[in-house]
Amino acid sequence: MPVLSGAVTFSRFRSEPTGNAPSDVKRWLAKGLKSGLFEPIDLKKTEDERAAGFVELENHDSTDFSTGSVLYGEYALFGFRVDTVKVPAAQLKAELDKWAKGFEKQNGRAPTRGEKAENRASLRHMLRQRSVPSTKVHDVSWNLKTQQVQIWAASRKAVDEILLALETAFEVKLQPLVPAALAARAGIADDDLVPTPELIGVEITNSEIPSSEVTHGEA
Amino acid sequence: MGRREQARIEAAFMRGDTGVDGVATEEEQRDEAEVERDKAREQLLRGRAYLGREFLTWLLWRSESGDALVDFEGAGLVVLYTGRCTLKGINGDVTELMARGALAPYSENVKHSLDRGLLIHQARLRLTHGEKVYEVTLDAEFLDIRAAKLPELMAEEEDDKLLERLYLTEQLSGMVDTLVQSFLEVRASRNWSKKVVPALKSWMKGEDEAPRQTKVQLARAARG
Repeated sequence: MPVLSGAVTFSRFRSEPTGNAPSDVKRWLAKGLKSGLFEPIDLKKTEDERAAGFVELENHDSTDFSTGSVLYGEYALFGFRVDTVKVPAAQLKAELDKWAKGFEKQNGRAPTRGEKAENRASLRHMLRQRSVPSTKVHDVSWNLKTQQVQIWAASRKAVDEILLALETAFEVKLQPLVPAALAARAGIADDDLVPTPELIGVEITNSEIPSSEVTHGEA
Repeated sequence: MGRREQARIEAAFMRGDTGVDGVATEEEQRDEAEVERDKAREQLLRGRAYLGREFLTWLLWRSESGDALVDFEGAGLVVLYTGRCTLKGINGDVTELMARGALAPYSENVKHSLDRGLLIHQARLRLTHGEKVYEVTLDAEFLDIRAAKLPELMAEEEDDKLLERLYLTEQLSGMVDTLVQSFLEVRASRNWSKKVVPALKSWMKGEDEAPRQTKVQLARAARG
């Protein structure tokens, strides 16, 4: 739990409500977290390989989100848990070879392509039942007073996924705290922010810049 | 159409040899250098990342004096680049360069590269605010806080420790924003192209007369 200890690595955002600001913050928080809560992969019922959603900061198996487990002073703290189940290809191949040898011994011929494909699916299902999902939890800290949101993840892919989950669950727009967004907030016109040719070595006009809207990108 | 023929067409499509209309796709005509330059240019312009690079380059120049650069919550903020830094550019044969060494960011090699059109893309910074010292790695595109070192916690209770840690991360984040705002004020002013950029270029060429810390002073500061 990096919020509590360990490496300090996070992406920074400012939250802006897309509609009216919530009147009851505690209720809004609980409702948002519940709407995007983590539900474990049910290996018996589903073929899903991935599950993701919000969990409590100090108990990654809990999605109760009682006020005491989420609010820490002026901060809302919680986790975003991602579980993945993967059947290793090498393990599947080894099992399939074992089955093919047994089949040949029993029937006096090698299995056909169709028989192999059919068995691959059932073997995959069996191995999946036995596998243990791998779990990753990324912390989120949200200062409800300053509306600063920190996503404690190093991977851009993870940040973008959590960003989308937060915006959907809480009906907010999260603006990255990058120079372009800070300039827009300070009312600096795009025309005053074209690249400096003396520094980058070439001249680039404003029309050549893809879009003035600030996105968090996909580096 | 036979199954085999169907599979052959699908495989050609998956390889990218043909389009959805079954007609052969055009062969990539551009050479490797051109593709790389286009990629570098796209990275520079995406989300106006060049602003972050100009900011980190401007900050390197300003930090060399060793003076407090801005006022943050009533105390001066001193910035020092330490260790590794990455430079990126779109003009010329080199699009990325990495410099390592305690004083690498202030070296003549780095300044020469900056003068040739590369800008700082990622750097390790030490921020001294009063008695508190923070370290952080910043990248130009997102200004994410990476591998930061916070000042030692004073609180003893676990809950207090957590809140102090969060407070310090917000302080660090606030310092970065204050530095960016200071840069943007200069960047959006008329002085930027008239005075600041020429001064920056002189510094890159090693021509500036501004008082700087000596290598010994910088090394002492880098050691903390």
